Amino acid sequence: MSKQKKILLLICAFVLAGLVSIILLNKSHSVSKAYITNQGEDSVSVVNLDTLKLEKKISVGKSPLGISIVNSKDIAVVGNIESQSLSIIDLKDNEVIKTIPIDATPLGIVADADGSRVFITSWFKNQILVLSTHDLTISEAFNVGATPSGITFNENYNLIIIANRDENTLEMYDAESFKLKKVLRVGSHPYGVSTRNHLVFSANVYDDSISIVNLQNWEQKTVAVGMHPYSVAANQDRLFVANSQGDNITVINLNNLQEVKLLDAGETPENIAIDAINDKLVSTNWGSDSVTVFDLNTLEQIAEIKTGLQSRSFGQFIYRK
Amino acid sequence: MNKFILFLVTLIFSASVLAHGPTPQKVQESVTVNVSPEKAWELVKDFGAISTWLSSAKVTKIEKRGEDTYRIITLESGDKLDEKLRSTDEDLKKIRWEITKGNVPFTDFNAYMIVSKGSNDNESVIQWTARFYRVYKLNPPIPEGQDDATAKAAVQGFVDSGLAGLKKVLESK
Repeated sequence: MSKQKKILLLICAFVLAGLVSIILLNKSHSVSKAYITNQGEDSVSVVNLDTLKLEKKISVGKSPLGISIVNSKDIAVVGNIESQSLSIIDLKDNEVIKTIPIDATPLGIVADADGSRVFITSWFKNQILVLSTHDLTISEAFNVGATPSGITFNENYNLIIIANRDENTLEMYDAESFKLKKVLRVGSHPYGVSTRNHLVFSANVYDDSISIVNLQNWEQKTVAVGMHPYSVAANQDRLFVANSQGDNITVINLNNLQEVKLLDAGETPENIAIDAINDKLVSTNWGSDSVTVFDLNTLEQIAEIKTGLQSRSFGQFIYRK
Repeated sequence: MNKFILFLVTLIFSASVLAHGPTPQKVQESVTVNVSPEKAWELVKDFGAISTWLSSAKVTKIEKRGEDTYRIITLESGDKLDEKLRSTDEDLKKIRWEITKGNVPFTDFNAYMIVSKGSNDNESVIQWTARFYRVYKLNPPIPEGQDDATAKAAVQGFVDSGLAGLKKVLESK
């Protein structure tokens, strides 16, 4: 090998090492936190997913249930059932910066792709409320089918998708015109709903099943899971389902739809969220007033952390920075 | 002045009435019993034995419906309850069941009991957790007797007397 080639190789090695260390440093400096609504004590618990410690409890409105982290705006939108309001939490200092009365019962909450708007299902009034994150006011509302509960946003198809619990349907609305694009019958009593790429998932509480809808061709598949599934979340190759009366989480291989593993959670696990940065899965346990944290690679439980009375966090509750 | 106070009272009252929604209610209580967890679990997991420790459950009948096990309870009031066994976990000493039919002042009731070890081998803790909703689930005004407080008081009554009954029966054996 010539001297020039050796020097070139050395330079390449240095550049590579530099790049790797930058990536590693970035990864270790990123922070993930779970924001847990405690419906029984009117608070939100902040759990640091690196240290696995409860960092803070934030007082919010009465009976908080739904939540959506708007990562790009560094805020969380919390829905208070009993006080019929939204609490907006600034995620940089974990303080409530605004409480918005909405004269409605907020259930599911989701942000759009750039975080400029947040959509909220209004349970008794059968509406979706649109919150502008620019000025933190409700900019509009539109009518939907009965008992709208879970809500999700599909970026690729620009769709707002809701579960109409008592009608056993999913409704899909264009996110610009708010026009109804599709109604699909799914399993019985769909509650939680989520989406990834071209797939939509609903947790069908009375059927003990998950419906998987393909947005490309409207094909639908049903997968049997554990008892009383409340919510479902997917990463690139797996589906995770919180079985609220099974006290466990079903892990499904998305390629063949076979069960990979059943994870023991705390009591009455209702909602789950994926921390893609740290490869962790978090379940909120209404019965044991806690969260359970799992390692997504080993599928083993890492910790159970006490959060607050009746922990629920219906929605995407993990903040990554 | 009086009118103003009346206005204020009305305002406060109407706000509290309006501020109710579909929130699941929770009753979670435990009792320490001076018997081993194995002995306590023996009784707790016996789905048909509820009349021995819950005084308001006068008659119990066990029934198989397909794969599922039900207990039919007749309450002191004469009302009947159908309860379905959901699961028993021997490792965790946990039993789960739900009410599928019954004339009670609450709905969507499901519950579980867990037996754990106390401070020594001959002491155990029985915890009972119940989850349910009030009867009236629609918009306010809520009819009398169908609200959260009524539902919670009724379940609390069952749980308190049930746990006291378990302690009494287990410790007198």
